[in-house]
Amino acid sequence: MGGLVMQIQVKLFAMLQEALGETVTVEVPATPSAEEIKGAVSQIAPNLKQMIQTSRLAVNQEFTTNAPIQLQSTDEVALIPPVSGG
Amino acid sequence: MYYLNIGDSPINVDALYQKLKDPQYGGIVTFVGTVRQWTGDIETKYIDYSAYHPMAEKQLEKLAAPIEAKGARVVIAHRTGHLELTDEAVFVGVAAAHRGDAFRWCEYLIDTLKQEVPIWKKETDTDAVRWGD
Repeated sequence: MGGLVMQIQVKLFAMLQEALGETVTVEVPATPSAEEIKGAVSQIAPNLKQMIQTSRLAVNQEFTTNAPIQLQSTDEVALIPPVSGG
Repeated sequence: MYYLNIGDSPINVDALYQKLKDPQYGGIVTFVGTVRQWTGDIETKYIDYSAYHPMAEKQLEKLAAPIEAKGARVVIAHRTGHLELTDEAVFVGVAAAHRGDAFRWCEYLIDTLKQEVPIWKKETDTDAVRWGD
């Protein structure tokens, strides 16, 4: 950890959006993992931690793996709660 | 070429079926998911669907493209917004040369859609509001 921190906006959907709004702004380490981003959102809403943990992360509308993410300030970051279409 | 649509307009099953007809195909399998009233003891009144556009459309393309590459045709429509009992929520259709592939790919598409496409249902039941299933 170099101690570098970046501020990102995370788009929310479904029950997370209903509870927290369309986006939340969080601080994460530079080159964060999906788990670190989810952890940062959980800090804002500890009561939703379980739902956040079971959500998947998408960057620029692609699901991520848990590898460190090279985030640019223009990237679209989103938390995808368990989907229920069909 | 596949046809994919996610939107608030009612699903026109007949029009979507027509998109699958083609002399090269001898088997057409369609699945239509509708709003069900009872799930065990839980009674559903209505469902509101929402989607992450355009990621949801991109995910559908990822599902449809490999199947089209095998020579079949894929038509998928998912409705969003407010749906009442019996309304069509999703249409998945596959036209292939033979029925075996059409059955297999149609089932694969609806099963994978339910896992990989960012669409959510908010179910208003008589006793509670439930997200997902």
